[in-house]
Amino acid sequence: MEAEAFDVAALAPLGFVAIGALVTLMLEVVLSRRAFVGEGVDPETRLVARARIGIVLAFASSAAIVLAMYAAIYQFELGFETAFGPGRPMLQLDALSTFATALIGLGALLSVWLSITYLPALRINHGEYYALLLLSTAGMFVLVSAVDLISLYLGLELTSLPIYALAGFNRRRLRSNEAALKYFLMGAVASAVLLYGMALLYGATGHTDFTGISQGFAGGGGLALSGLALVIAGLAFKVSVVPFHQWTPDVYEGAPTSVTAFMAVTVKTAGFVVLMRFLVLALPEMGEKVSVLLGVLAGLSMLIGNLMAVVQDNVKRMLAYSAVAHAGYLMVGFAAGTPEAWTAVLFYLFVYLFMTVGVFCVVIALAQGGREWDSIEDFAGLASQRPALAAVMTLFLLSLAGIPGTAGFMAKFYLVVAAVDAGQIALVLILVGTSMVSFFYYLRLPVVMYMQKRRQDPDAETSSSEIVVLALCAAAILYFAFFAQADPFGTGVRALDVAGRAADFLH
Amino acid sequence: MSFEMFLFYAFAFLAVFSAVAMIGFVRHIVAAAMSLVVTMVSLAGIYVLMHAELIAAIQILVYAGAIVVLFLFVIMLLDLRDGGLGPAARGQNLVKAVGVGGTVTIGTLVVASVSGVFSVNPLVESLPEGFGEHRALGIALFTDYALAVELVGLVLLASIVGAVILAKRKID
Repeated sequence: MEAEAFDVAALAPLGFVAIGALVTLMLEVVLSRRAFVGEGVDPETRLVARARIGIVLAFASSAAIVLAMYAAIYQFELGFETAFGPGRPMLQLDALSTFATALIGLGALLSVWLSITYLPALRINHGEYYALLLLSTAGMFVLVSAVDLISLYLGLELTSLPIYALAGFNRRRLRSNEAALKYFLMGAVASAVLLYGMALLYGATGHTDFTGISQGFAGGGGLALSGLALVIAGLAFKVSVVPFHQWTPDVYEGAPTSVTAFMAVTVKTAGFVVLMRFLVLALPEMGEKVSVLLGVLAGLSMLIGNLMAVVQDNVKRMLAYSAVAHAGYLMVGFAAGTPEAWTAVLFYLFVYLFMTVGVFCVVIALAQGGREWDSIEDFAGLASQRPALAAVMTLFLLSLAGIPGTAGFMAKFYLVVAAVDAGQIALVLILVGTSMVSFFYYLRLPVVMYMQKRRQDPDAETSSSEIVVLALCAAAILYFAFFAQADPFGTGVRALDVAGRAADFLH
Repeated sequence: MSFEMFLFYAFAFLAVFSAVAMIGFVRHIVAAAMSLVVTMVSLAGIYVLMHAELIAAIQILVYAGAIVVLFLFVIMLLDLRDGGLGPAARGQNLVKAVGVGGTVTIGTLVVASVSGVFSVNPLVESLPEGFGEHRALGIALFTDYALAVELVGLVLLASIVGAVILAKRKID
């Protein structure tokens, strides 16, 4: 129906964050004008004024994200299902996209809260930060509902471009500049690969929309297959799957930690969701071959990610390789490719959000004096000085390692069950084996925190916004460790059922 | 082989050759930029053969014109006296260019021959009325692709804000 194709309410989440980005951008200009009238303002007053503006902008962007999340959750509960795009469908609004939108919104919201005190601590408190973050979020909203190669590509660029700039946001730090440049150049190559793949797919099938591609694929052949491989490679770059992961450690380490947390959770969610939709819609027939290809990527990511993480001395680098390993675990679900596996993948992404944001929040809570405290030695004896911080850090690390009693274990458990049911025994063995390896590097930090003497003395306080994020993440990890499938408080919402409804987008 | 097919392969060869030349053969970085112009113009030629005349015109105006001029401005601002490429770098670049170009070409040829692309006429035989004209393109942009156009607007905004924050002279 023509009227429904213009259903603007469908785009409410996207609209809220896009407008939010414009508003924060203008708000910064207006507020700075009032704060810095005249040239004779001394640096101290300037700094205070900047901090105030930062708080206002953080509130404005939180409001935009919360509205977007509210709209997405509302759409999810309504069972919203509509294809948006005048004339031809560009975006598909359904349970999967609204679920992913809410998830990405949550990741963005927590990242904004992480930034409130972190940006002033690093003296990079510029208003553009929040606008870029919101624009990137808008790009991810497009990405998770894309059903056409054109909207997929535009969503990906809108996601990536602000993050390139955000990675280099700490201009005084050489590593940050290096991270931005590296990420930009390699991202540009990945975009070129993706576009080449899209061109081949279009040439072979004559369609740019996913369902059209699946129809044209019947006569497939080498051209369509190589196009498919290139598209998968381009998307694999974004979610840092081996062998497209080389940028990950440098960018994770160099970027400001709040940006690292943002891209670690949201880009991963968006990338995996769009890959899921693309594989399911465009290639319903291609089961076997694609599953082998994805299985190889999964195995390599788990092995290389976990083994490389062992030898890292910097916490952010270690977490980067751990992110590669987790991408590998998620790819196991992709290789399985059953509805249960999609449910497990979505639940995993949900849990992964809390663990990762939590871990990076601890790194942020340690930052002070314009410097990060992110080498493993900086954590020595933390437990004696800031026991609560050391305790939650231990919880997040145990959850990342997947130890029973944490949500990370449940997430891995469902993934393993789905993979075993789909007959991916070899991948499950690699998953379990490399998880054993991962205990070594995840548990190294608690050992250092609890068993060693304090060497340095960061006297920074954990700010209230950081406490909120840490408490939320820790509570979520403990809650979903026991109540992934249960509903103890009678809210009528079971996490796994929600993920299952989102994964049911096929029908 | 018809005359159009001959033109197609000539333009295609020229485009690939000057793209490889740009990173491999040329002695001066300005010559590399000029080599890029040749690639752009050859692509425009292919567009004309495919009856996408408006795209061809835009290709020449925007890419061969505006963007390469921008490159040249940047090159001249950098003031590279030795052409920016020492003899050693040139040798390395040649190896890289031949390596990359060779791999891509051979890979494409293998895929193309396996999938039987060579038996397909790359030039479209029958086209809808008014194809490739500004009117058809405009209608497509304002109807089917209206959302995409809006998104491009956001992408441009993001890149401008990003570029300003990274390149602004003074930060406090």
